[in-house]
Amino acid sequence: MKLTSREEGAVVVLEPRGKIIGGPDATVLREQVRDLTNSGKKKIVIDLAGVDWMNSTGLGILISCLTTLRNSGGELKLARITEKIESLLTITKLVTVFDTYDSAEDAISAFSGD
Amino acid sequence: MPEISENKIVIPSQPALIRDIDEFVEAKLREWGVADTLIADIAICATEIVNNGIYHGNKEDPQKLVTLQLESGEDEIKITITDEGDYFNPDEIANPIAEENLLREVGRGIFIVRQLMDNVTIRQAEGGGTEVTFTKKIA
Ligand SMILES: Nc1ncnc2c1ncn2[C@@H]1O[C@H](COP(=O)(O)OP(=O)(O)O)[C@@H](O)[C@H]1O
Ligand SMILES: [Mg+2]
Repeated sequence: MKLTSREEGAVVVLEPRGKIIGGPDATVLREQVRDLTNSGKKKIVIDLAGVDWMNSTGLGILISCLTTLRNSGGELKLARITEKIESLLTITKLVTVFDTYDSAEDAISAFSGD
Repeated sequence: MPEISENKIVIPSQPALIRDIDEFVEAKLREWGVADTLIADIAICATEIVNNGIYHGNKEDPQKLVTLQLESGEDEIKITITDEGDYFNPDEIANPIAEENLLREVGRGIFIVRQLMDNVTIRQAEGGGTEVTFTKKIA
């Protein structure tokens, strides 16, 4: 998995690419969200268009990102999840836990402005 | 290093080698003409169970191996994955979709495999470790 990021005003959009299936590179996303949160950037979108699928390792990392942000008063939104990831979120009942959007722009404008 | 023969891949228990497992499984299934969406489901499950062998079974001991065997039947794919750890009781796994477990970062692997595949059996391997077999209808 490779990770790039861009800033849109107060929001940081993270763009992982490649499957998230475990192994040493899987934790990069989790660490990036932790670093951003620590430096005060607490509105984060993970744009998953470049991740064809993931396994439970990837789901665990998304949950870790969500709780890191929530615990510090931030917010996480997911954008452009693939069909496979959507069905995994459904099977695991995590659809009820994550906010998902059809585009990064929709996700960005869904943050409360403060 | 992974050791690959016709329908079998054997890896030492190093987490980075999960990529090799994914590549091997996907390449074989593509060669057998399995539909892309099923290839993804089967590869998700293969990487789940091999990760379990690497981390929980063999505890990342590179001396211990995880073996994955693929079989192609008339209308189904069968995968058998074995590790060299201690057998565990799969009945004791907590339900990951119970409200109080939803935000746990771990504990969904076997549940996902049971949901996506047709027939999942977990038993003690001959060598004492864990052997997981699952099948998926492809036609
Ligand atoms: N091959 C194995 N050897 C020993 N224990 C295992 C094995 N596979 C699974 N387990 C046990 O079952 C639990 C649930 O596995 P799983 O559903 O994949 O979730 P996770 O791997 O996220 O913990 C593991 O935490 C572990 O205790
Ligand atoms: Mg697991």
